[in-house]
Formats: sequence, structure tokens, C-alpha cells
Amino acid sequence: MIRVELDGQQIDVSPGTTVYEAAEQLGMRIPTLCHHADLSPVGSCRMCLVEIEGWDRPQTSCNLPCTDGMKITTSSNSLQNARQSMLRLLLEHYHDAASDNSHRPQTEFERLVEEYDAQNKADPSCMQDQQRYPIDADDNPFIRIDLNQCILCTKCVRACSEIQGRFVWSVAERGDQTRIVCGTDQTMLQAGCESCGACAAYCPTGALADRMAFRAGKPDRLVRTTCSYCGVGCQFDLNVKDERIIQVTSAADAPVNGMAMCVKGRYGYDFVHHSERLTRPQVRQYLLQETDWRQRPADRGPWVEVDWEVALDVTSRKLAEIWQESGGQAMGVLSSAKCTNEENYLMQKFARQILRTNNVDHCARLCHSSTVAGLAMAMGSGAMSNSMQDIAENAAAILITGSNTTEQHPVFGAMLRQAALRGCPIVVADPRRIDIAEFAVMHLRQKPGTDVALINGLMHLALENGWHDADFIRQRCEGFDELQAVVQNYSPNRVAEITGISEADLLAAAELLCTAKPMAVIWAMGITQHTTGVSNVLSLANLQMLLGNMGVPGGGVNPLRGQNNVQGACDMGALPNVFPGYQRVDDTGISDKFASAWDLQAAEHVDDSNRALDQQPGLTVTELVNGGQEGRIRSLYILGEDPAMTEPDSNHAKACLAATEFIVLQEIFPSETSEFADVLLPGATFAEKEGNFTNTERRVQPIQLAVPAPGEALPDWLITSRLANQVLERTGRTPLGEFAAWRYAKAADVLREINSLTPSYQGITPERIAAGESLQWPVTDANHPGTPILHVGKFTRGLGKFHAVDYLPAVELPNDEFPLLLTTGRVLYHWHGGEMTRRAAGLTAVCPEPLVEISPDDAAKHAIANGDWITLESRRGTLHARACVTNRVAAGVVFGNFHFPQKGNVNNLTIGALDPVAKIPEYKVCAVRFAGSS
Amino acid sequence: MAEFEPVLLANINRPNSFTRKEYEATGGYQSWKKVLSMDRNDVIDIVKSSNLRGRGGAGFPTGLKWTFLPKDHPGPIYFCLNADESEPGTFNNRILMEQDPHQVLEGLMISSYATRTSTAYIYLRYEYPGCNKRLQDAIDECYAAGYLGDNIQGSGYSLNIYIHQGAAAYICGEETGLIESIEGKRAWPRIKPPFPAIEGVFRKPTVVNNVETVACVKHILDRGADWFKSMGVPADPNNPRDAGSYGPKLYCLSGHVEKPGCYEAPLGLTARQLIEDFGGGCWKGRSVKAVIPGGISMGLLGPDELDCPLDFAGPGKYGCLGLGTAAAVVIDDQTSIVDFLHNSARFFAHESCGQCTPCREGTSWALKMLNRIKAGRGRLKDLDLLAEIGDTIGIIPGTTICGLSDGAAWPIKNAIKKFRGEFEHYIKRTNPDGYMVTDPVPVFETTAH
Repeated sequence: MIRVELDGQQIDVSPGTTVYEAAEQLGMRIPTLCHHADLSPVGSCRMCLVEIEGWDRPQTSCNLPCTDGMKITTSSNSLQNARQSMLRLLLEHYHDAASDNSHRPQTEFERLVEEYDAQNKADPSCMQDQQRYPIDADDNPFIRIDLNQCILCTKCVRACSEIQGRFVWSVAERGDQTRIVCGTDQTMLQAGCESCGACAAYCPTGALADRMAFRAGKPDRLVRTTCSYCGVGCQFDLNVKDERIIQVTSAADAPVNGMAMCVKGRYGYDFVHHSERLTRPQVRQYLLQETDWRQRPADRGPWVEVDWEVALDVTSRKLAEIWQESGGQAMGVLSSAKCTNEENYLMQKFARQILRTNNVDHCARLCHSSTVAGLAMAMGSGAMSNSMQDIAENAAAILITGSNTTEQHPVFGAMLRQAALRGCPIVVADPRRIDIAEFAVMHLRQKPGTDVALINGLMHLALENGWHDADFIRQRCEGFDELQAVVQNYSPNRVAEITGISEADLLAAAELLCTAKPMAVIWAMGITQHTTGVSNVLSLANLQMLLGNMGVPGGGVNPLRGQNNVQGACDMGALPNVFPGYQRVDDTGISDKFASAWDLQAAEHVDDSNRALDQQPGLTVTELVNGGQEGRIRSLYILGEDPAMTEPDSNHAKACLAATEFIVLQEIFPSETSEFADVLLPGATFAEKEGNFTNTERRVQPIQLAVPAPGEALPDWLITSRLANQVLERTGRTPLGEFAAWRYAKAADVLREINSLTPSYQGITPERIAAGESLQWPVTDANHPGTPILHVGKFTRGLGKFHAVDYLPAVELPNDEFPLLLTTGRVLYHWHGGEMTRRAAGLTAVCPEPLVEISPDDAAKHAIANGDWITLESRRGTLHARACVTNRVAAGVVFGNFHFPQKGNVNNLTIGALDPVAKIPEYKVCAVRFAGSS
Repeated sequence: MAEFEPVLLANINRPNSFTRKEYEATGGYQSWKKVLSMDRNDVIDIVKSSNLRGRGGAGFPTGLKWTFLPKDHPGPIYFCLNADESEPGTFNNRILMEQDPHQVLEGLMISSYATRTSTAYIYLRYEYPGCNKRLQDAIDECYAAGYLGDNIQGSGYSLNIYIHQGAAAYICGEETGLIESIEGKRAWPRIKPPFPAIEGVFRKPTVVNNVETVACVKHILDRGADWFKSMGVPADPNNPRDAGSYGPKLYCLSGHVEKPGCYEAPLGLTARQLIEDFGGGCWKGRSVKAVIPGGISMGLLGPDELDCPLDFAGPGKYGCLGLGTAAAVVIDDQTSIVDFLHNSARFFAHESCGQCTPCREGTSWALKMLNRIKAGRGRLKDLDLLAEIGDTIGIIPGTTICGLSDGAAWPIKNAIKKFRGEFEHYIKRTNPDGYMVTDPVPVFETTAH
């Protein structure tokens, strides 16, 4: 340790600590304009000057390392004068066109000018009294630029390069003509801006500002919350004024993201106040007509707005009727990866306790069910083993496969760019040349659907060259001989033939990935959404066990969960085969535990024969939707999901929904699915309720009530509880078990119930969350510190199990009739079915239309120009979208997204073929053709 | 001075002085061949004991600088030859590189060998295409002769030299700005520490030396440290921080003299000697009003200060910033100091790199005030404001990363202090109605260009 003295106070600091940091540790605030702890110090604003005893001139504290015995003065007359001089000099060119700034919060620069009384002392004779640059001349819908307020601290330049890895901002010209520029003096978007807003977040003057918040006023309060888009789990502050969100601002102490955010998190919040929000319950008219409401019309008829009493009455009556007639097996519950842990817990409780069925599932089926199944088979736990920051900081090499990380998990994508910039080699294996490939040392472009062959090929080379970890395999795994036998068949020659990757590239990638320890594997839907999804996941698990990369920092198997709370929805048992915490429904001991906790007493006149819980795993999302047409499912209770958009082969899915007798949809917008619903219950967004989300790295983080829900909309946990009570009443049952009742005054009451029934969440109590703890499950008791890395020393299932898996081709491959291979995914600016992002004005302004990526080869062959409207067709439907001619896709491959409804939805084309184990559809491969272009 | 035999300029007037053949005919590359079998530390010791100080401006002891390199560094270590000669009035490097490039290369090669460098960059001023050609030809000749490349002369030592052309920015002469520029970045000087010897080009240990400095190294290896120390001004025994001013020096003389040019003399001749003995006196029979002792960033000597010795210690004693590049610019008695300062301010406002607040804003503020004074709207109060800016900006008051704005400040400080009367007279004459005004005056629109 090094001892220094600051203004008479002594402090011991570790070597390398700067004087600025030492002062911070003492709670002193040295003024600065160009420095931030996240950014490399440049020492150019000269505000943070301090005096060191024995030194003849003041020094910048932001970059000066402490040395033992240093005596530092942070405040003196001469320092005050020097700082005042700096501000006076800056005021020479600083020019704020606004005459009145009472409408917005004070900037750091304004605060310092006030503190140092610099405005009054400046010589006005030389002040630049006029505007030098055009104001607000850039067309970025999120960021407003006024260079007249720029003091050239270059925080934006460093934030863009060091945090976001985007290098949009730089500096041009010199002397007092110096200014920040985008790219080669282009617009922000032209220069490759991803609109993450980091530049504006760090700006101390308002030269770069959030456009949506401009002139929105000063917030009444800041509410810390967790993002409702992807599974990274960013936290930030909602700025609330007059009960509306006026801005989202960074929270430097956010556990996952710090100051960083992506465009959706920072600027995609306006959907909350969108005019199309559902504000009153609605039911179909036929349900209000006592005479014939049992026979609904074919088109379900018109909507009627009703109050909650009527809506819940009608809904519970219908659900009770179906339950009594056909039993729970004819009913399905679709929970939501967008809703809280508490709400997911209640949805599965609703299915299992009240409807006595395991027919509960959610969209994890469509994204990572193969991961959950595969990793559970191999290791015993179907979640990301390591943490994002751990990988970014500690991995010696990274394999990214089937994850378009910088677009789908943008903040983690930026962390991976930082990893690349620190010298960590990244190998991207993806049929598309995605953005992160620009930061990779190698891009392996395998043919879609050939992942097992690729991974087996890597393992073949690892074994051949002795790169495997024999000790790890012997001590911690089983099934190695079977694996070896299969992998032997995957010679580089054969793998090259299957995957299209050259033998040389395969060898180079294998050497790089297998010899760097630890190596982390990251994947997402490119791996999981195949009929071989489970096999793909098993292969990656095999690879990491073979190399001994499990249970160590910087390694692991790392599936990136898509939705904000898809991890939590799985954790809470919104799955047909497990209770909360992955406790199996077919385990009698477990089933008895829940049966007792949730026990209901039937009234005397009610048949009470099935008091035990259903021990048969229920139906999956796809089976439940199909069940409507097949006649085995009569009702669906859907929370915050949009199967009409997101199911594969959406024409078929819509037909199934249309055939389902009774659909209750609890939503925030009239989604595509609402067309098929009989009841619409208005729920609340993440900003309008309390609860917790669990992010991709198993971190449980709270959301807070920031603004009231519009109209009569209610928090979803409250709606489900009310409905549950009514169905219980109608079916003549009363709560008996300890946790049988549905009397929740607040979300925390639900969490306490979860704590009691879920070992891995036992220590994640409302008290610890309220105290600011950021815990990663398993947290098995109130003092457990959480588990950043899984499988340390021992796999959850004991020994890790190798599974010998063989390559199988995708179900529908191109042929003469349908010569193109379609693969699907998302884009940065939109989110899944687009329900929220299409109602965020800025996001839609940047990306207003469905796009299909086409290789230049195919475009030339079919005389398609960039921007043409084209029609693609498969055996199941057609897609109408704009052509984006790009090298991101290889010849013969096209890529579409599912953000836009109706004719623009790529799921009109996709195939409903399922993985036999996980029942995940093969979104990533089907055969299509051009229907002509216009 | 008559007995002094030119060292650095000895051969520049010989026909084809820039060819290897001519260079070797006068004993060139003998030291290079000799050095290749020497212990590196012995080479450094010779340079250290010569007390050679850097010729680029700051006068830092060269041998000492080399010893700052980490001892057991696995490499690479880089050598940067600072040939970004941009200080107004300075052209000695140009003459060396154009007329005797092999002398420079031999010095660079010896210096690279001593510092365990295998890659040397010559950072060459963009405006010197002639130097570029002569240097590249000379480098090519050296490769052909086996003086450069791999395993030179069977010694096991390898050295490659590359010319990196600048893009016309004064700041690239600052050693860390130069390093950033070599890396392909904007030449914004780095904060120090770490100094280049620890983290320089590509974050590897790096030495940055001036062209004339390495040329001196060649001659020190030729003739020994004692020979070198036989010239110049010994260290002041009463000042332990004075390292002395030894060896020959190239003085660039320009401005209002009869015979401007580059002259070589032992360090320590006075400004008067340079002007009278070498330059033939002030031109057109006029008298000297002021002399810039070493490039305009060093400030001004007044007419009564011409006996200032032009060695490393001399100009400082007369209130100037230092010897600088030893480029003396003579200003005659019919030239306005107001014009001089305006011109100087224009230069520095244009060349400020824009990184540090005080330099970027201070140089442009000073220029704006001088623009206003020149436009007949000056106030006496402006002189105090100018002096205040002069005192505020630069490394010396601790407010900038590099020394550029010290160089901008010194002409202001010296001019206002030594010629205040002329400024006051100018302001009163040109702004008879307003010179006493202290109220704010409307901005006079201008740019720094």
C-alpha cells in the first residue's frame, strides 16, 4: 500500500491509484470535465489540477499515480484561480443558444461555472457571443448535436471507442477550429452510429443530448429499474415528470452495464405512453349475451369495453366451465418472458394449482428450450455458467456461434468488442458475416444447420493434437469413450464437405480455440432454433468439457437468453415439466410438496377426486397452439405473448388460434394475437409495476413502480390473482395449504412464497433485493453470496456427461423448386414481434420496414437492386419485404426478421418442424424462392 | 571564432556530398563499422561523458535519455528521429538531411545500436520533399552496402529504417505527438508519465532524438567525448543543474540581416557575434530592435540584450524560454513589435492542436485581442489581459500537456514586458477615443486562420 496525504487527511491506496481516485476514496470531489472513471484519462481540460508538496507546478490528478509520502493539496487560492481561468477560457467559445435553461437539469459545466463564479469574471469583450456551428443539424432521431456547447473534453470520442467499440466520433481541425466529427464528417448514422447514446450520457455540457428529452423539463424523480428488452439486464434511471417518463439516464453503479446502454434501452421507452395502450378490459360482444354466449361466432364478433368486474366475471365463468367439462388437460397457459418472476410464478401456479394441469409454457420454448434441455442433460443446469463481465475480462479466447451479439445483446456485444480490443481473440462461427465478425480474428461461415459437424470437427482436431484436458475429462466427466468414437468420424475433410469451411480454417480455428485457456463459448438462437437444437447444445457442452473450460473464470457454456426475463420465466417453472427452480413435476416427492403447499379444499358439492397435482409433463407452446385445431385444447390464457407473430409457419398458427374455443389475452397493446382473443385484459409495462427480472447470467434485479398504468390497466400479478380467486370461487374450492391462497398485497409477497418453495431462490429475499444486493442464483439461504460461476469443482448433476451426437441435416433444404435457404433473426432497432419497438418512434424511424438480406450474387441473378420490394415464398406462405443487398449473407442464403406484421413477417415462411426433445421449431432453416421483384 | 573547423557542415559544399561514395571518401561509416563490435553500454558511456544535449529545443542530455530505457526489455524498442523541423526560422536539420544525409544516417544507426533498436523511424516534415528523396536514396545505398538490414556486417545486429512523412502540423514535432502520428493517429500529445522511454511507439520503449543530435553522436564516436567537450561553454560550477553547453551547434540566422544562413560555431557565441560576425550585421544599415534567440517560441531579446550567449543557459537569463533550436530571427528598428506579436499569435493559434483547454482557447483569445488592437480598437487594458494569458497557459504554469503553449506564451510575455511602451503608443495612436475604455467591447469577428 501507498500512503498519501490529501488536504491533511491520510489514506492508504493500492499502487497505481491516481490522486483523483484517492481523493474520491476520501469522499473529496475534485472538479473535472474530461475525466470519467470508465474512460482512459487524457488530462486535457486541466480542471483537476492539484498541488504536490515539493513539486514546482500543479499537476492533473486524473492521471497522476500516487507515490508514497505524497502530500497533495486539492484546493488553494492559486488552484481556484487556475480552475476559474480554465472555465473562463472555455466560455470564450461556449455558446448556448437557449435564453432560458430552467427547463432542464443543470449540466456539469454549468455547475462548475457557477461554483467557480467564472461567468462573471470572464472578459466579455472576447467572449464568442455567437453561434459557430449549425444547431441540431444531424438526423439521428435520438441524439441532438449542438457543437456550440462543445468544450472538447472528448469524452464522447473515448466513450464511443472504448465503451461501445464503435469509433464514430473523432476530432477534426485544430486550434480553436477543433471540433468533434462523426466518421469522415458524415452524419452519425452514416458513420456507423448504433445510437447507444453513450456519447450523450458522458457529455458534460449538453452539446450531445438526448433528443427525446430535449425541453422535456426537469424530472420530478429518478426511478432505478431494469430494462425490459433483452436478457443482458441493464439497469438505469427512469426520469419521471408529471407521471410520464421523459428520459432514461445511465446509472454508473448498475451492476451489469454501468453507464452503457443500447438504443432500445435508452431510447425505446416511449411505447409505455403510446396511444394504443390497452386501458380498459374488453370482451367480445357474444360473451355478454346471456342467451348464446356458449356458441361464439366464427369471427368472434365485435369488442365491447367493460369494467374489471364484468371482464373477470365473464372470463372466470368460461374458464370454470371448460375446466368442469373437459378438465385442465383441455386448457393451456402461456406465460411471458417479458413479465416478472412473480408473475410467471403465479401463471404456473394458476395452471398447476387451479387448472390442475402442467399445460404451461412460454416463449423460451421458441428460443432456448434446446439449451435448457441440452445443458440439463450434460451438466444438470440449463443456464449460462459464467458472467458477462467475467467473460469479457478473463477469457483468453471466445467462440461466438449463432449469436449476433452486438445487435441482440448490444451491451454485452460492446463488452465483447472491448475484449477484442484488449487482445482477446474472437472466433465467430455464423452463416452471416455479422457485426462482431469485424472484431474477430476468424469468421467461419458454416452452412446453416451444420453446427454439430463443425463442433465435432473441432473436437476431432483437439483430440488428434492432444489439446483436450485429459485430467478434467477423467475426474469430472463420463461418457468420453462414446464421444470419442463418434468424433473420430469427423475428419477435417468430411467436416469441410458438410460445413463449407475449409480444412485450413478449421485447423486454425481449432488450434486457436483449443489451446487458449480459458476459452468461453457464447451462443444464442443460431444454435438452438434447429430440429437438431439439443444436439447442437450438447456438442458445445462436449467441447467445453473436453477442453476443461468449465467451472473456471473466463470460460463456460454461455447461452445468451433473449428476453429480459426468459431466464426468470424458466426459473419460475413456466415450463410444462418443472415447478419453480427446475423441480420436476414427475418427481413424487416434489409434487407432494407443492400439492401440500397449494392444497385446496373443495366444497361439499364439488368433486374432489383430483386433489393431487398433475404429474404428467404438459404440452409445449407449439403443441398448445396446435391443440386448438386438433381439438384437444379448448382454452388458452396468454400473458404478454404474441404467438400469431412469433410462431413458425404463422398462417398455420393463426388457423390454430382461430380454431381455439376461448382465448384470454393479457396484454399492453392490441397485438396480432388479439384478433383471435375473446377477452383482452390490460396489463402493465415494466415501468408500472414491481417485481424482479432474472437476466441471462442468473442475476435477479428489481423493477419499480415509476409511473401509473394508463386508464384501468393493472399490474399483471394482480390481474392473475384476481382471476385466480374468481375461478377458485366458481369451482367451489377454498385455499387450505400454506401457500394456497391468492392474497397478495404486493409483488414482494409473491417473492416470499417463491423463496419458500424454490431452493435456488431461497436466499433472494425482498429484503436483500431492497438492500441493493445483486444476486446470481443459486442462492440457497439468506446468507449465501450468490453464484457467479456454475459447476465449480463439480457439475450440478455430479459428473459432466458427454453425449455422442451425430450430424443430421435440417428438415427442409433448398431444392430446384425452392432454391434459397432462408434463415431468420432480428435487427438492432427492433425487438422480437415488434409490439413495443414498432411503437417507439425513434426506433421505427431508423428501421421502418421489414428487410431481407440477399447476397450480391443472388441479387444480380434475379435483377434485384438494393431497396427493391421483393416477395419471397415458401411452401407455407409469402413475405413482402425490402431487399438489402449485402455480403453479410452468402450466395444461396437469405435472411429475414420477424418484427413486422402481416405480409412483412418472415414467419409466414418458416417451418414448424420441431426438435424431438425440446420441441423447438427450426426457425433457422427452410427453403424459399423469389416470387419476382418490383 | 576563426580557428573553429566546421564539423557538421564540413562537407556540405563538396560536390555530390549526399552520396555514400563522397561520404565514405571523408571517413564516413568508419564509426558505424567500429561500433558494431562494441559493447552497447560503452557507446552509451561515450555519449554520456560527452555531455551531448539534445539539439531539438529542450536540451535534455542525450546519453541520460537513453539510459531511461528499461534494461531487460524483450523488445521491440523503437527509435524515432525527429525530423519534423517546424519551428519558424529553423532550417538546420534540412541542410543536414539534404546535403549530408549519410552523416545523419550514421548517427541514427549508431544511436539505434546503442539503444538496442531494430526499427528506426525518421519522422520527416511534409514540407521537405527534397530531404525525403535524399534520405531515401541514402537509405537505399546503405541497404545495398550492407549497412542496414539483417545481420549487419555479420554482427548479428539488424536494423531497418523507415521514413514517415508528417502532414504539416507543428505539433508533430512534440515527441509524444510525433509518436501518436507514427501510430497513425491524430497527433495529440500524450500525458506523461509514462515517458516514451517506457511507453512510446505502439506502447513500446522509444527514444526520440533530433536530427542534429544524432549527427553529433556520429562525430563523438569518430573523435571522442573529450574532443566534443573541448568546444562550448562548461557547466556553471555554482549551478548543479547546469549540464553545460558543449560541442558545435548549427545556428540558423534569418530576418533582417545582410547574410542570412545556417552557420556552425561552438555553443556559446553571443547574439551580437552571430549577427555581426556571421550575418554581416543588420540589413540596410538599420539597427537591431529585437532578436528571437531560438525560434519564435523562445521569446525576444531586446536591443540591449544582444550580448546574451546563445547556449543552453544564456537566453533564460534574459527572460527568454531557452535556446530552443538556436534559430535567430533579427527584427530591425523599422518593424512593429505589434506586428511581430500578431504574427506569432496567428501562428500558435493555428498550430495549437486543440487538446488542452488553455492552449486551444488561450492562443485564440490572444489572437482575437491582437486582431482587435491591429484593427484600431485596442485598449490599454488588453495588455494586462494578454500578459495574464501568457502567464496562464503552458507546462510551466502546469496547465497543458505539452510545451506548445509555453512557446505561444513567451513571445507574448517578452513582447509586452520588453516593449510595453510601443504597444501603448500603438493603441493610443490607433484608438485615440477608446484606448481607456474598460467596458466590454463587441466581439471582432475573426478566425484563427
